[in-house]
Amino acid sequence: MEQFLYYLKVSLKSIRRAPLPYALTILILSLGLGVFFANATFYYRLNADPLPHKSDKLFFPFMNLVPYECQNCEPPNVLSYSNVQKLSATDIPSAKAAMYSADGYLRLTPQQPPLPVKIRLTQPDFFRMFEVPFLHGSVWPDASARAEVILSRHTAEKLFGETDVVGRRLTLDDFEYTVSAVLADWTMLPRLFDANNNNHLSEVEDIYLPLETGYDRNYLSNSQSSSFQDADYRKLATDGRTKAIHQLQFWVQLDTPEQQQAYRQFMANLTADEKKAGRHPSTINNRLVGMRDIVAHFNQQGGDIKAFALVTLLFLLVCLFNASHLSLNRYIANQYEISLRRALGASRWHIQQQAMADVLLMAGITSVAALLIGYSGISLMNYLLPANRLFSSWDWALLLSLLAVTLGCSYLVTLYPSLRASFGALNQQLKE
Amino acid sequence: MIKINNLSKIFRTELIETHALKNIQLHVSEGEFVALTGPSGSGKSTLLNVLGTLEHFDSGDYLLDGQSVKGLSDKALSALRNEKIGFIFQGFNLIKDYSLFDNIELPLRYRGFNAAERKRRVEHALEQVGLAARRDYHPSQLSGGQQQRVAIARAIAGQPRILLADEPTGNLDSLMARQVMELLEQINQNGCTILMVTHDPEQARRAGRQVQIIDGQLSDAAMYDPLAHNNAHAQSSPVAVA
Repeated sequence: MEQFLYYLKVSLKSIRRAPLPYALTILILSLGLGVFFANATFYYRLNADPLPHKSDKLFFPFMNLVPYECQNCEPPNVLSYSNVQKLSATDIPSAKAAMYSADGYLRLTPQQPPLPVKIRLTQPDFFRMFEVPFLHGSVWPDASARAEVILSRHTAEKLFGETDVVGRRLTLDDFEYTVSAVLADWTMLPRLFDANNNNHLSEVEDIYLPLETGYDRNYLSNSQSSSFQDADYRKLATDGRTKAIHQLQFWVQLDTPEQQQAYRQFMANLTADEKKAGRHPSTINNRLVGMRDIVAHFNQQGGDIKAFALVTLLFLLVCLFNASHLSLNRYIANQYEISLRRALGASRWHIQQQAMADVLLMAGITSVAALLIGYSGISLMNYLLPANRLFSSWDWALLLSLLAVTLGCSYLVTLYPSLRASFGALNQQLKE
Repeated sequence: MIKINNLSKIFRTELIETHALKNIQLHVSEGEFVALTGPSGSGKSTLLNVLGTLEHFDSGDYLLDGQSVKGLSDKALSALRNEKIGFIFQGFNLIKDYSLFDNIELPLRYRGFNAAERKRRVEHALEQVGLAARRDYHPSQLSGGQQQRVAIARAIAGQPRILLADEPTGNLDSLMARQVMELLEQINQNGCTILMVTHDPEQARRAGRQVQIIDGQLSDAAMYDPLAHNNAHAQSSPVAVA
């Protein structure tokens, strides 16, 4: 430890001899890393697995069960009510939930100004499947229609000024409901159960309503819906349940490979039966898409984010190259001292240890500067693209990774100069 | 202490090869004070650098304290330089922004001594060269002679078996040069083997033995210095055996 502190002291002395070139090296490296950090933060968050212990068990079944003929078509991104009924008619999944989202207005009394809210209309298994925590109350006992809502903690606090409001009543779009539960703080980012139209990048909803109630009260999806033939989308309670109005997302939990295989077979049997009955005019194209692949399935992987990631990576490489060049100049300027140390008994390994102290010092200073630049970059992007705000936070894992990248880059910048300074004719270098 | 047999060193560039040392034969016993003399470019500094393992050689053998230097790893060579050899350079080679203490302590840092031992050795070395009161000075605050004494203190702090001095008085006036030579003689009397490159015949005469190099080869030492009667055995052969 004492020797390491000595190496640090030697590094500081070397910096003091030529502070400007060193500051320039740090600035260039910090700039490259700062821009990289900002982009890496978004990339990391957008590609995060929100349920890493479970995401490989959650699937979205797709099938081409539409009332029109289409050869080699991709299945629609949303399902009709009757499709969901058919896909639900099995006990193979451990859990299953259909869902969609809508907008509404909430208030306690007619005199109160209405509060615009995002509504998720779903079934009880949704909360178990996506591990939604409850603060007060519990989930609806079954999937039937009921005038009961579940509030997010934030909505409960905003509306009632407190969270323990189970049993209290409220008005949602002119209908009265009873609060059956209040959720604890819950954030799922990205919300992969709702990946249609990039919705997975937005916040969780404010209020949860039984799916059947949503159909009864004619809530149309606010993200993606389509109707075919004579189906009238304004009549969800009737046409919505019987005709081809597609607006539902449907997730099943299949815990084992056997369950997954069985459900695939179930889907194959279902579509074969539908085809036989003349209700499946299109080519059979069944898909069971895992939650981790759902964004790719919807082709919403954010090409611009990838392109920007590539650009920032290239920028980092350019900065690394320039910083390495400056670092080489610094080592060449210190060549005499390094050679003197070698002449007096320092081995190349000792010189590498000295370089490691340089690396740690550089990594320490660069980390702080790069994080500041990265934070500024993120703030700027949040200002320009507010939708990305949710994906701009740092956690310990990300911070440690970023620090490791800084350490690696500092080492790369120092490696070649220190190796070069360790070799060569000592006698010649001592004369120069 | 030092045995060199048929040692050759060639400097190569793309265009020419320069035979800096040719079939050098040299034996130096423990406690000797040997002056390496010769005209400029004759190879005496190259020989000193080879002896100090600062320079590789192309052929021949070099045994230091019974150990062949050829083929030693960088780590072993560094340890050899650190433990057995002390260097005194013509240009002092002190680090300007380090105190005298830090400069002298530098080789001890790579020896693995603890802080107390390093301090004891540095202070003892400073006392030996008469600069104990200036341990926190920087080289630029000292005269040339004082700086060379610091370099000597650095060289002897590790108590090496051999001291290699490359024109240690080359940059000093005659008074300071005399003081440095007296210091070297005193160190030699304490049992340290010294090889010193010098242009100055008077200083060469103060060494116990003179070895002259001309065109990369050892010549007859007695011919160069007829007063060096003690070196008669060196005249009988190009091998200068003490």
